[in-house]
Amino acid sequence: MSPLEYIWAGVMAVIAGPAAFEIFGIGIPLTVLMVFGGFLLGVVGGATPGLAGPFLMAVSLPILLSIFGFTPDALLPVMGFLVGVMKGATVGGAVPAILFNTPGTPDAMMTTLDGYPMAQKGQAGKALRTAHFASVSGDTFSDLVLFTCAPFLAVIVEAYLGFGEKAALIVLSMAFIAAVVGASPLKGMIAAFLGLLIASIGTGEDFYARLSFGTDALADGVPMITAVMGVLILGEVLVAFENMWRQRRSNAVVKEPAQSGDNRLSWTERKALMPFIGISAVVGTIIGALPGIGSTLAATLGYATGDKMHKGPVKFGQGTPEGIAATEAANSAVSGSNLIPVLSLGIPGNVGAVFIILAAESIGGFNPGPTVFRFTASEVNPELVIAFGLFTAMMIANIFNWVIGGRIMAACGIMSKIPSHVLLPMVLLLTLTAIYAQETSFTAIYFALAFAVLGYLLRKLRIPTLPFVIAFILAGNLEHSFRQAFAVSGGDPWFLFKSPLSLVFLLLSAAVVIFFSRSKTPEAGRRAATERDL
Amino acid sequence: MLSRRIEIWLAIFFAVLAGLTAFVWAPLDSETAAIYEFRRQISIGDAMLPMVAGGGILLFSVAHLFLQLRRRRDADEDPLFDRTTLFFFVTFGGVLALSLILMFWAGPLALALFGPSGDDAATYRQMRSSLPWKYIGFVLGGFTLVFGLTSLIEGRVRWLRAVSSILAVLGLILIFDVPFDTILLPPNGDF
Repeated sequence: MSPLEYIWAGVMAVIAGPAAFEIFGIGIPLTVLMVFGGFLLGVVGGATPGLAGPFLMAVSLPILLSIFGFTPDALLPVMGFLVGVMKGATVGGAVPAILFNTPGTPDAMMTTLDGYPMAQKGQAGKALRTAHFASVSGDTFSDLVLFTCAPFLAVIVEAYLGFGEKAALIVLSMAFIAAVVGASPLKGMIAAFLGLLIASIGTGEDFYARLSFGTDALADGVPMITAVMGVLILGEVLVAFENMWRQRRSNAVVKEPAQSGDNRLSWTERKALMPFIGISAVVGTIIGALPGIGSTLAATLGYATGDKMHKGPVKFGQGTPEGIAATEAANSAVSGSNLIPVLSLGIPGNVGAVFIILAAESIGGFNPGPTVFRFTASEVNPELVIAFGLFTAMMIANIFNWVIGGRIMAACGIMSKIPSHVLLPMVLLLTLTAIYAQETSFTAIYFALAFAVLGYLLRKLRIPTLPFVIAFILAGNLEHSFRQAFAVSGGDPWFLFKSPLSLVFLLLSAAVVIFFSRSKTPEAGRRAATERDL
Repeated sequence: MLSRRIEIWLAIFFAVLAGLTAFVWAPLDSETAAIYEFRRQISIGDAMLPMVAGGGILLFSVAHLFLQLRRRRDADEDPLFDRTTLFFFVTFGGVLALSLILMFWAGPLALALFGPSGDDAATYRQMRSSLPWKYIGFVLGGFTLVFGLTSLIEGRVRWLRAVSSILAVLGLILIFDVPFDTILLPPNGDF
């Protein structure tokens, strides 16, 4: 098959795939329906403070796996749904930021700076329209970069990297994520190696399950989805519970200002926003392509760049649409390019990508990484068809976002009023139920609670959780690459340092950790501390 | 960054844990060593990954310890864990434990007390897909969890919260159980 035929096969796998139901004899494709469902859930969840895209993806995944099973036919509907959630949550996060000065997701923090003052001036409608327009523009741009770059990067990786180089590349990615997430790279590295250690429990190639103390409970290893949800979601829930317990804050009634200002967003105004959106989209796309750097940093940089460009009468921070556009375009542009390391290298760069990888690994038949992009002519590479199907699902999500995203956003304002202390216990029960639905054993709930305590402790001790989770997921690949590279080298103990490329990767790993370990200025330290990984 | 004293203790803790893992636990609790020879072929054994992981933690915790020792002394911040934390975990753990016990045992107990007897007697496994037995544990345990934690955080009991908790549990039943035959609500998969 030629590359164009592969692209077409991917498109057809989505739009001409299995139909969910028929309307007047026309089949509604299941994947398209799932993308729509995910998008809807994402916007509503993103608009609800306390929920976020990764959480929604986490609780959806076990349900989706139970519905669709573990056959390759499940890949596109499941991943389409997750992609829809990811994109929906990005736009939804702006709703409470604008209406109530409460960011629905951490990356919408900067949106509050101009969005809330605009709402106070009676221009909430205009602010929401600006956020939607900027967000969907940035997202679409980022997706186009993903579609163009990921295949080329993957082909290069596959052509030039052997097992040793791939192992060194995984080490470099882990070092980079550990170094840039959180305030202390050394603690990030400790978290990453802790992830490797826990992933090695009950796994390995021998008959005896290593590090199991000979017990049956540990012999099967640590369930991946349970551990990830425990650390990322339940750990966060525990911290939030404790904070609320301490504060016992009153359930203050939120007053809404009357919306009497100019709430339209004309084409002329949209045109005027384009330079801010364009620059921020580029900033967000570059930041997103680097593993581990969250959308919060992209939003901050986009906002700062926009501030420098802005010459209007209303300054940034006082309620100007340009401020919202600069922020939203940057944080939304992260979501597409974040998948570049996943699809081209098999390395998840952020929490959202973690769940895409988990879905692919759980279902099977699609292993994100350089091998996906093999344009074999003699026989069909089904993984490549799935990859182009995934790209198609992303574009369909963008179309939904362009067409109806703004209206759904406007309708979601009510979600922002749900108090956290009411929502979080429901989130806890929902998460435990989702974990049980996947594992059908109370043991999984105990595992999840144990990892919740671990996640809680990591957060309290200011040890970043993302390096832990990513190392936990990549441990299997890393060990496999190590074993293969060692075997190929004929048992050479210096196998990792033989190739110049792997040596470069390892030296870069050390350099990244040392560079980011230098003492920071107080301001930079604070900025790093605000860079959350969920 | 936490206070210097806490960071030092944290580094020491990880260094000790890592040392024990890399040099005691991993080699002793794995079938093959880090490197082993089998039929004249040298291979990486199962002990390698945990030893590398332990070694990595050891290396970086020692480096962290070294940097913290060089750091200027600072005033200790508020303790990370205090009596409030302990009280929170005891209360939270109590509500959670009660909820999970109810969730696990309420269904089988209700069946034993009120279920068919005599020739029609059935085990919970036989009845785990039948109404009302399959929902009893989830509804009671789930309600206790949501309502208990909400009331705990609010510091008072409100009827409105009881209603919202019931609605949340019913919502989860509608999401997970009603549309799908293949999904089991807790604790039905354990029986």
